[in-house]
Amino acid sequence: MRDWVGLLARVVTGGVWVVAGALKLPDPAASVRAVRAYDLLPEAVVPTVGHLLPVVEVVVGLLLLLGLLTRPAAVVSSLLFVAFVVGISAAWARGMSIDCGCFGGGGFDADAREKYPWEIARDVGLLAASAWLVVRPSSHLSLDRRLLGGSTPSPRST
Amino acid sequence: MGKKAAQESRTARAAEVLETQRREESRRRRTTISAVVAALVVIVGLGYLVSTTLDSSGESALTPGGVDGYVVTVGDDAAPTTLDFYEDPQCPICQQFESEIGDDVAAAVEAGEVKVDYHVVSFLDDASQNQWSSRAANALMVVQDLAGPEAFVAMHDLLYDNQPTEGTAGPSDAQLVAWAVEAGAPEAAARQGIESGRFDQFVVNATDQMSKDGVNGTPTVFVDGEKVDGTPADSVAAVRKALGGSGS
Repeated sequence: MRDWVGLLARVVTGGVWVVAGALKLPDPAASVRAVRAYDLLPEAVVPTVGHLLPVVEVVVGLLLLLGLLTRPAAVVSSLLFVAFVVGISAAWARGMSIDCGCFGGGGFDADAREKYPWEIARDVGLLAASAWLVVRPSSHLSLDRRLLGGSTPSPRST
Repeated sequence: MGKKAAQESRTARAAEVLETQRREESRRRRTTISAVVAALVVIVGLGYLVSTTLDSSGESALTPGGVDGYVVTVGDDAAPTTLDFYEDPQCPICQQFESEIGDDVAAAVEAGEVKVDYHVVSFLDDASQNQWSSRAANALMVVQDLAGPEAFVAMHDLLYDNQPTEGTAGPSDAQLVAWAVEAGAPEAAARQGIESGRFDQFVVNATDQMSKDGVNGTPTVFVDGEKVDGTPADSVAAVRKALGGSGS
């Protein structure tokens, strides 16, 4: 039963990551501007984060969909969701009106303040699904099980 | 006694076999994980490389004549009030903004009461079937380069009067050339600049600069260097106030 919960968590979270990342991949300049709009990171790292984030999102999403290295992928996924919740909350708290840039886009959005609570709720939900997989990475239909003969690819020997 | 010893030795041998199997299995897992991790590093690295290559922001660009930084200044440099407008040619709210305050701003510029620093940016190509945003922005810079700020304003007004609806195909390059000529640019040079996308890279850099200026959308207005926050209606009100305040 719990393995089915794991599968559901993988498919939902992984699917969201793949879509979110893929929508951003074609326009890296927009991704950089979306990161910069939060006004949280130093300018020196803004372009790197903007260029790297969509790629990491797609890769983490694919790993979760495949159930490959589920636990490490879920750890990265959880950390990213924590970062996004912090970023959106910070924008909200400072009275900024920016599109979260979650699925491409970004920049000014007149309705942003009404959307923040929903975006945060969505990310918290996905964070919970990711956290489940960190604690209990075992799930049905996973490559971990097929390739590694187990659910927890821990490097511990014996 | 002997029987028991034999059994113990059998158990020990079985345990040894099991242990070997387990070690073998664990070695195989480690190899697989290492291979997957190595592949991931390569994939992320390549993806990052592609992203960085696709984003040409900040690469060297030709600057149009009479442009300081990324700004086309219209009006008397000594005017007491300075307005900054950040605008994308495809942005419908910019068109609305221009239709509400454009005439009053032009009159105030004429009277020497204000000068306007136009920041032409382009990030709405996705809202056009034929990259209207960046083509129109380039054409504006071509006109500025060839014929100066007055022609730039004429072109700017023509583009907003004829703005294509979002999601449709915008006018052709030939139409842009015709408008450039109407605005005051020489035809042959305008055609060359428009068709070759002479200032495309400049516009990309101007758009990056916009984001560095803390501007996240268009239209954004600054009055005497102060950014106007809030809704588009707030921007219109702020411009009205600035025009009123300078005695028009």
